Amino acid sequence: MPRWGMVIDLDKCTGCQSCTIACKVENNIPHGSPQEQRLRREIYWNKVIAVTSGRFPSVKTELIPMPCMHCEEAPCVTVCPAKATYRREDGIIMQDFRRCIGCKYCMVACPYGARSFNYREQEAKEYHRPDPPPERRVWGPWPFPTRTHGVVEKCTFCFHRIDQGLKEGKRIGQEVVPACVEECPSRARIFGDLDDPHSEISRLLSSRGWFRLREEMNTKCKVYYLHR
Amino acid sequence: MSSPFTSIKGRSKGFRILTAILIGLTLAGFVSFIVSYTWGHYVFGTSNSVPWGMPIVITIYLIGLSAGSLILSSLTYVFKREEYRPISRVALFLAIVLIFGAMVGIALDLGRPEKSWRLFMFFVLNNMRSMFAINGILYGGYFLIGIVYFGAILAEKYKFIKRMGIVAVLWAALVHMGTGAIFGFIDARPIYFSPIKPFEFLAAAMVSGLALLIIVVVALFKFTKIELNKSLIFPLSRLLLVLVMILSMIVLIDKLTHLYSLDRASLLWLLTGHYAWVFWGLQVGLAYFLPILLLSHPRSKNTLRGVVIASFSVGIGIFGERFGLVIPGVAYPMPFYPGKIEGIWGAEASFPLTPIETLLSLGIFSLMGLFFLLGLKYLELIPIENQEGQRTESG
Repeated sequence: MPRWGMVIDLDKCTGCQSCTIACKVENNIPHGSPQEQRLRREIYWNKVIAVTSGRFPSVKTELIPMPCMHCEEAPCVTVCPAKATYRREDGIIMQDFRRCIGCKYCMVACPYGARSFNYREQEAKEYHRPDPPPERRVWGPWPFPTRTHGVVEKCTFCFHRIDQGLKEGKRIGQEVVPACVEECPSRARIFGDLDDPHSEISRLLSSRGWFRLREEMNTKCKVYYLHR
Repeated sequence: MSSPFTSIKGRSKGFRILTAILIGLTLAGFVSFIVSYTWGHYVFGTSNSVPWGMPIVITIYLIGLSAGSLILSSLTYVFKREEYRPISRVALFLAIVLIFGAMVGIALDLGRPEKSWRLFMFFVLNNMRSMFAINGILYGGYFLIGIVYFGAILAEKYKFIKRMGIVAVLWAALVHMGTGAIFGFIDARPIYFSPIKPFEFLAAAMVSGLALLIIVVVALFKFTKIELNKSLIFPLSRLLLVLVMILSMIVLIDKLTHLYSLDRASLLWLLTGHYAWVFWGLQVGLAYFLPILLLSHPRSKNTLRGVVIASFSVGIGIFGERFGLVIPGVAYPMPFYPGKIEGIWGAEASFPLTPIETLLSLGIFSLMGLFFLLGLKYLELIPIENQEGQRTESG
C-alpha cells in the first residue's frame, strides 16, 4: 500500500495562489465574498500564508502554501465522535460529509487550521464537472460535493484523481497528481509515494534539506517543505 | 430562577405573565434555531477561527450548574444533613432541567442537528477515542440517573434513594471532569491544554451550583414566606467561600504553569488582549475576588444580603470564566511558522454577538425556565408547609 505525501519546494514557490484557485475549481469550493473572507468564513482547502520576520530594511517574507497535512497521527481523527474524519489505508485523511454532525471539534483540535466549516447554503453555480452525488445506498464520500451547510470540509489530496488513476493503471505522481500540483506554474509541488524509494518525492527528501510545520505537535505530517 | 416563586405564591396573574414571557422567548429561540438551521451558521458570530460560540459556552455553564446542584441536593439523602431537606427536591429537579438545557445547547450548536443521534451510537458508529463520544455516555447516563433518582425521591423509597444518590454524585463529578477533558486534552490550543482542566471544571461546577442553590433557597423561602432559618444559609456560604478559594488556586496554578512555560504567547494575549476584561473583570473580579471579599469580610459575611450578592457575583463570574475559556482559547492565531503571519491567518479573531445567537441563547434559558415552572406547578417540590396555598393560588 502506498503512502501518499507531498513536497513543497519553497525555493520555487512564488506565492501566486494558483494552488488555492486550482483546488477551488477542482473541488467545487465556493468563493466567499470579501466580507466572508474578512470574517474568516470562506472555505479554504488550501491556503498560502505569508510570514515576515526581521525589520526594515532586513525583512524576509516566507510564502508557505498549506494544504491539509494528512498527519500520520491526526488529532482530528482522534477527536471526531462520529467517525466522519478517518484515515484511509493509503494515509489520506478523509472527511465524510454524510457522517459529519458539524460539532467542529476537529477544527479546534487541528494544529494547522486546515479545516473549514460550511457556513451557508451555497448557490448552485456552473461547474465544469457536475458529477451527481451517488445514490443514498452507496456509502462513502463523493468527490464533488453537492454542498450542504453545517459540515466541516478539508483537503482530500484529490483522492478521486488518485483512485481513478489507480483504476486506469496510471502512474500516480507523474501522470496523475492532485489539482494543486498540476496547476502550480513553477512546479513547486511534488506528489508521490513516500514509501517508494524510486519516487521523485523520496529522491528530493533524501537529497535536500526539508522541514515539516509544527513538528512540536508530533503529528508526523506528510507534507514536507524544502528550504529556500 | 427566583421569579417563578413570586408568581406561584403571589398572584396567579404574575405566574401567567411570566409563563407567557418564557413561552414567547422560547418560541423566539426556536425560530432563531430554524433560521440558523435553514440559512446556515453564518447568522452566528462563529467563524473558522472561533468555531465554538455561545451555545457551547452556555452548555458547559449549565452542565456545571447541574452537576453542582445535584451534588448539593445529595446533602440530605447521602450525607444525612436533614436541615437541607426542604431544598433537596428543588435542587435535584433543577439539576435535571439544567442538564436537559445543556443537551439542547449542544444539539443546537451542531451544524447538522438532525444527525445528533450519531453521538449516541456508542461503540457502533462512534469513535470512542473522542472525548465528545465519551461525554455522550456521561451526559446520557447522567440524565437517566437523575430521572431515576428523582423518581425514587418522589416515590419515597429511602433505601434505594441513598444508593442511587451515591451513584448520582459520583457520576455528576465524572460528568464535569469529562467536560473539562473535552478542552483540557486538546494540545493544539495552549489555553485549553492542561491536565488540571477537569479538576478546574469540577471546582467551577461546585462553586456555580452552590451559588445557584443559595439564590434558589433564599428566593424559595422568601416567596413561600416560611421563615428562613439562617443556620441553613451560612454553612452553605462558608462552603462557597472555601470552594471559591480552591477554584481560584487551581486557576492560579493553571495560569502560572502556562506563564512559566515558554509557549506563553496565547496566555499573555488572554491576560492583556481584547478579551482581558472577561478574564480580569468577570472571572477574577466577579467569580473570585468579590465573593471572597464579601464572604470573609466580618460585616458582610453574616448578612443575608452579602451572601446573596456574593452568589450572584459568582453566577455571573463563572459564566465569564466559561466564556473566557471557550472563545479566547481558540481566538489566538496558531503559530504555523515562526515569524509574523500576515493577514487573516495571523490575526486575532473576534467573536461578535449576533441577534440570532443571543435569541437562541435566551431561548435555551427560557425553555429551562418553562420546564422549571411546570415542575413547580405539577410536581411536589417546595416545602410542604405552604404547598396547599401554593397550588390553589397558582391554579
